[in-house]
Amino acid sequence: MQPVTFMSNTIQLTEVQSMLQQQGYITDRSVAMSVFLSLQLNKPLLIEGPAGVGKTEIAKVMANALQTDLIRLQCYEGLDATHALYEWNYQRQLLHLKMTEHDTHTIDEKERTIFSEPFLMKRPLLQAITHTQKPVLLIDEVDRSDEEFESFLLEVLSDWQITIPEIGTIKATYIPQVILTGNRTRELSEALRRRCLYLYIDYPDFDKEWLIVKNKVPAIDARLSEQITRFMQELRKMKLEKTPGLAETLDWAMALSALHIDHLDKTIIEQTLGVVLKEWQDTRQVQVSLDELMEKTGIVSKV
Amino acid sequence: MIIRLTSLSQNIVQFSRYLRQYGFTVGIEEETLILKSLQQFDYTSQESFFLLLKMIICRSKANLDEFDNLFRQYWKQLDKLVDTKSKEGSKKKKSPTPEAQFASLNTWLKGNPKKETEETASYSIQASLSQKDFSAIPDNEVAELMKAIRSLSRRLAAKANRRYELSNKIDLPDLRQTLRKNLRRGGELIDIMHRRPKRNRVKLLMLCDVSKSMELYSSFLLQFLYAFQQVYARMETFIFSTSLQRITPLLKQKYFQEALDLLSTQNEGWNSGTRIGESLHTFITSYGNKLIDSKTIVIILSDGWDTGHIDLLKESMHRIHARAKKVIWLNPLAGYAAYKPEVAGMKAAMPYVDVFAPVYNLESLRKLAKWI
Repeated sequence: MQPVTFMSNTIQLTEVQSMLQQQGYITDRSVAMSVFLSLQLNKPLLIEGPAGVGKTEIAKVMANALQTDLIRLQCYEGLDATHALYEWNYQRQLLHLKMTEHDTHTIDEKERTIFSEPFLMKRPLLQAITHTQKPVLLIDEVDRSDEEFESFLLEVLSDWQITIPEIGTIKATYIPQVILTGNRTRELSEALRRRCLYLYIDYPDFDKEWLIVKNKVPAIDARLSEQITRFMQELRKMKLEKTPGLAETLDWAMALSALHIDHLDKTIIEQTLGVVLKEWQDTRQVQVSLDELMEKTGIVSKV
Repeated sequence: MIIRLTSLSQNIVQFSRYLRQYGFTVGIEEETLILKSLQQFDYTSQESFFLLLKMIICRSKANLDEFDNLFRQYWKQLDKLVDTKSKEGSKKKKSPTPEAQFASLNTWLKGNPKKETEETASYSIQASLSQKDFSAIPDNEVAELMKAIRSLSRRLAAKANRRYELSNKIDLPDLRQTLRKNLRRGGELIDIMHRRPKRNRVKLLMLCDVSKSMELYSSFLLQFLYAFQQVYARMETFIFSTSLQRITPLLKQKYFQEALDLLSTQNEGWNSGTRIGESLHTFITSYGNKLIDSKTIVIILSDGWDTGHIDLLKESMHRIHARAKKVIWLNPLAGYAAYKPEVAGMKAAMPYVDVFAPVYNLESLRKLAKWI
């Protein structure tokens, strides 16, 4: 594979498309355009959409294609600056002081030692801006973090520098390529949105999903892959607690393909439904209306 | 107004202004971004050009959904202008506002009060057990309501206490706990304990009037109650007309439609007369001691039309006010400019109300944040 030149000014839209394709990421033009623009304008890309449609995958593919490292910050409720930026290794500092208790260092010297790089624990954001190469920084499920963290993120994303009182201000060596993902569990603030390019990825349509299945599970039987895709498309139209995403389709396809099954029938579906549905209410609901579903997808059950 | 312009950059600026009319936040920054990226971009293909604009301008799912249509409309207008060589803009078609469901309410509030005043102001003495058809209520505003209520409830709950509590996160160091904890290690400070300001946990209690005189607002009220219960966990909800009913568990459904179905099968008092005094009295005697304390904010949603005992209302309000942290009375009628709280029930309750504010739609709810 030809490495893509990193000077983003010279990158072309067609290159981005082929880059995504080479990495096995099947997509439409709006995704390619977003990735292209985010590379070219050096702006963060905010990706929203339902679970399991490949939001996180874009970051991985990008890191792969750009031949750089992926630094990931998983957000959760209660995530704060010490978990995202840096933290002093208190225990180590204390032990160090204890061990050097009887040395003849002055207090100034001791202070300088314990507030130096070896005692600093770098968290993802600091890691990303001090990286030796331009990394891809994935801030996953940003809507799970609370609002204080979001506004803190705004500051980092616009200035690209982090101030540590004991050391000083650390400026970014390279500005990372940032991808933020969200499930729309909470509305993100307008300010954060304005700093990013926005991309919404929905469940793929039949043709696209089929193509992805064939691409990701090459060993699969052609008929089976079509049946699986059709079945999943119908499944998503039902009102389920947790609608299965593309990730579930692939899991299912891989599972069935590993079992050397070449077509779907009722017993197989019933036995392997757990791969696709993760809530017992959903499983029951689908079991009840399985005949109808199979009729819709054109699967004939052999008696 | 759309004017025919020949240069691309001027057109882009005009297009941005056009979008701004439709609520897009397109600033100078976006315009510069578009022009900058167009410099290094082959925009002869219309599709690529369209995608480029779309990806830079859109900031949310709602933007994305609207953009296609607006883009098409704009360039269609422009093409027309090229054809006729006219320099005057033709009239744009305004898309219908999404607030259609409160349209009738708004026309009443602003336009013709005569006909409908009678209807809203009337109240019946007999309790009607008529079934209300809730299926007509759309749930598209629930998400918006929840957003507004979330920011409101944060304001209600955010007051921090002066005391501290232990925290598992890295926070303010707690010297006392740290020393205590490390005694077993011979006084070497290995584990550092942290503390954070204790948060006040405000409880909410919602009392909603669902009598005939409130009928116009029932769709809004239901969404309001549902959204509030979804957002705020420490909350109890009651509805009353001639009698009192606790609906907290009914509102805790995952989908709005399910809550509606449950409510419409279990309601009895919708559209009947109002006896605020009796209802509040029942409340304070049977639930009051348990549910109201000095950390509770009581929110009453009613228009104050009462066919019951005014004295009883006064007494109940007095008791509620004495026990609760705050009493907020939200009156849908108060949005009407000429409104004064002169209804007998309202007048009686006024001395015991800390905040009196109008609430009848999403907009007024946002304004409410200022009052609280």
